[in-house]
Amino acid sequence: MATVIANVRPSLKLFQSVLTCSSRRAFGSTSVLMNEDPLKLAQLKEAPMKTLEDLFTSEKQDSLITVEKKVDIGCVTGVPQEHITTRHVRIWKPVKHAMQSGTNNTHKWKMEFESRERWENPLMGWASSGDPLSNMQLSFGNKEEAIAFCEKNGWEYSVTEVVDKQPRPKSYGLNFSWNKKTRTSTK
Amino acid sequence: MASTAGTVIKSGVKQVRPLLSVDNAEARKRVLNLYKAWYRQIPYIVLEYDIPKNEVECRAKLREEFEKNRHAKDVRVIDMLVVKGQMELVETVKRWKQKGHVMNYFRTPINPKPNDFLSKFLAGSV
Repeated sequence: MATVIANVRPSLKLFQSVLTCSSRRAFGSTSVLMNEDPLKLAQLKEAPMKTLEDLFTSEKQDSLITVEKKVDIGCVTGVPQEHITTRHVRIWKPVKHAMQSGTNNTHKWKMEFESRERWENPLMGWASSGDPLSNMQLSFGNKEEAIAFCEKNGWEYSVTEVVDKQPRPKSYGLNFSWNKKTRTSTK
Repeated sequence: MASTAGTVIKSGVKQVRPLLSVDNAEARKRVLNLYKAWYRQIPYIVLEYDIPKNEVECRAKLREEFEKNRHAKDVRVIDMLVVKGQMELVETVKRWKQKGHVMNYFRTPINPKPNDFLSKFLAGSV
């Protein structure tokens, strides 16, 4: 508690600096300035003076606040409201190409917005879309990161889980087995 | 496979560096200060930008814009909203905006999404 009280003062200074940078008329600050202490006025114009004590005590270590871990940053990201509330995100992991043994592009989880209306542009016949998020595909190291990102931004999401399919054991010799019904007649 | 970096968080608290305010009371003070600054500037905005709105409508809109973010609980988010609001105010006061930018606050969605079946059908989304 004591640290909190000690921290109020430097942050109040910041607060003033935030709200004094616009025009005088906006905040009627002329009347405020008239009654103000001249030393304080001088500090308003010039850089704030720091004592030695200020310089030697680090501000970082004790200026921590307690916040909830779960935070919704949707209102400060600048994403329009309609693209937060009405969008649906699909989270999935791309599968291996069936015809090749390489596993490239299958190690990251992907995130994509649901597709919206597309149409053929009459000028050139190319495809058009009015959706600013249509071609955005983000990659994540794991599923939880992708989910956390969606929750932080306030997007509704669905996760397509990986289906772990065991490969079927096959052997060349089975083709000639007498009881496995693998021998097909050529006649 | 699951790393600790991106775990899904449902609840709990953590210690972080503050943006500006150290507690809710201070953040609230900032918000009220910003609100008052906007409120006092409204007559000048109406006069200078020559918008087809009167002061009462502008005040209602101001209130609405603040109410829109009432759900924000995190002190850092509130601070960031205040900083953004302050930037908007400065841009308005210094006339870096034009009439259309101010009127954007009053803009309704251009093409509202169809809700009932018939208008959805006519819009081609059924």
